[in-house]
Amino acid sequence: MMGKGKFILPFLALLIFIGLSSVFVVDEREKALVLQFGQIKAVKEEPGLNFKIPFIQEVVRYDARILSLDTDTIEVTPSDDRRLVVDAFTRYRIRDVVQFRQAVGVGGLRVAEDRLSSILNAQIREVLGADQVTSNTILSEDRRELMRRIQRQAQASAEGLGLDVVDVRLKKTNLPDQNLEATFARMRAEREREAADEIARGNEAAQRVRALADRTVTETLSDAERQAQVVRGEADAERNAIFAEAFGADPEFFTFYRSLEAYEKALQGNNSMMVMTPDSEFFDYLRSSDGQQ
Amino acid sequence: MAGNNGGPWGGGNRGGDDDRRPPGGGRRPPEGKSQLPEIDELVRKGQDQLRVLMGGRGGGGRGGGEGGGQGPQFGKGTIGLAALGAVALWVFASLYTVKPEEQSVELFLGKYYKTGNPGLNFAPWPLVKAEIVNVTSERTEDIGRQIGGREEGLMLTTDANIVDIGFQVVWNVADPAKLLFNIRDPQLTVQAAAESVMREIIAASNLAPILNRDRGIIADSAMQNIQETLDEYDSGIRIVRVNLDKADPPREVIDSFREVQAAEQERDRLQRQADAYANRVLAEARGQAAQILEDSEGYRARVVNEASGDASRFTSVRGEYVKAPEVTRRRLYLETMERVLGGIDKTILDKSVVGGEGGSGLVPYLPLNELRRDPAQGGN
Repeated sequence: MMGKGKFILPFLALLIFIGLSSVFVVDEREKALVLQFGQIKAVKEEPGLNFKIPFIQEVVRYDARILSLDTDTIEVTPSDDRRLVVDAFTRYRIRDVVQFRQAVGVGGLRVAEDRLSSILNAQIREVLGADQVTSNTILSEDRRELMRRIQRQAQASAEGLGLDVVDVRLKKTNLPDQNLEATFARMRAEREREAADEIARGNEAAQRVRALADRTVTETLSDAERQAQVVRGEADAERNAIFAEAFGADPEFFTFYRSLEAYEKALQGNNSMMVMTPDSEFFDYLRSSDGQQ
Repeated sequence: MAGNNGGPWGGGNRGGDDDRRPPGGGRRPPEGKSQLPEIDELVRKGQDQLRVLMGGRGGGGRGGGEGGGQGPQFGKGTIGLAALGAVALWVFASLYTVKPEEQSVELFLGKYYKTGNPGLNFAPWPLVKAEIVNVTSERTEDIGRQIGGREEGLMLTTDANIVDIGFQVVWNVADPAKLLFNIRDPQLTVQAAAESVMREIIAASNLAPILNRDRGIIADSAMQNIQETLDEYDSGIRIVRVNLDKADPPREVIDSFREVQAAEQERDRLQRQADAYANRVLAEARGQAAQILEDSEGYRARVVNEASGDASRFTSVRGEYVKAPEVTRRRLYLETMERVLGGIDKTILDKSVVGGEGGSGLVPYLPLNELRRDPAQGGN
């Protein structure tokens, strides 16, 4: 019995080891290939427990998630010859592990990224450099359509790699550094123009306001003057009416009365000198007591 | 156990580690690496156990025939203890806690099994593996102002101007399973999507509205578009908000923009000055106009009053005159002449002195100027 135990236990251990070597778990995040001496024997895309022949077969796992890749910054020349510095990123996944393995071999993702990167650069140049695409197209709502076009073309090209290009999005679309200064200068000039315009408009508005004010002043004053003259005229007319009514009652007496009044006013003070002969009515009694001449 | 803190979010290791993985060969995320070791460990544990058992027995064997019966008894106790320990270890390894801000994703033999909520959770090792993901904590990506703030935030607008944009994207996780299973680099993906979306929006807009009024609109539509993009990847990421904290002209031209603002204020100042002038002269003019009108009214009152007075006086005098015309007439005449002639200098020449009817005899020889002057001097 003791001798049996000596054999059973190592045998049991070996059995467990072999058992464990023949199962493998495929995770949600991965797809696996079962290789036998480098030859693809099985594709395991669904998560779960799987079996293989121990020692002879090996398992290669690939990421099933969406992977990311940033492209290099490249310069493109749209059809209006204005150069733009462009970079993009892509989101892709491994669609067909068999095709992928065949295309990239043991190099795996690194090789795939290199290939995809050059595909993207080429497609970006092609799409953004196409005849009808100008820099204005890139800098507009149409950008989205351009990105979709790049994605479609990259998808077509990457088909052979077993990749699925989910999305390509442009990030930077800037002017090359050597054009920046010119753009800044133009922006400055535009601002200066705007500033000068503001001040000119300010002066214009100010002058308008002043002119209007001056005009209103003149209008106000002249209108007041007119009304004043109307009032004065009415006053004079009223005076004439009053006089006419009063004096018209007895013109002869008025003449007498008014003459006396006028003499008194006209010959006032000591600035008058009179040389006269005493033959006026006033002097009647100066010469004789009976007033006869 | 190792399975609890694998993955980009459960533990401290970020996606960057994954990128450097040797391609093709390693191909498993970190927690996957632990899978085989676990099995190895299990095997090793089993072997250890066997060795202990064998050793115990071997010891007994060395004792020869005499101690043969004791070996199994002693071994039974050891086995019981070991089994108990193993169960305790297993339970301990299978329990894990999820904090309030986290959720766990449990994988049964690699297949999605369920999402675990905060609290104590049980994942029977080694069949079920749990990954803990921080779900509600907000993560912030700064875009456009890292690397020295230079170059990164500069974006080209539709009207070929350049604007310096800086913004933050705040995000958390809506669905931890999707986050784990669908994208490899969540953080990089958020950053790239956010930058791309923002540049797309800026590229489709003119400079002026970006600088002035559209900030809120830009942030809103950026948030919406980033979310749509991430949803296309089925990423399980939720964008909480987008803060557009910088939308300025580039440093090189900002002075010119400030000058425009200064000019706007100058314009305002000029207008206000003119308004002040207008207000002043208009008020003055109104005052003057009132003065003129009031003057004329005064004139009217004076003229009419005078006229009425004069007329009334005349009428009164005439009333008396009519009663005794001859006497009154003479009296008025004499009184007036008295006042008139009393107040002035006069030279009375008799008709005989004047000479003849024409009165032209002496008059030409009178020293009129002196006659005029002397009394004035005498008066003084």
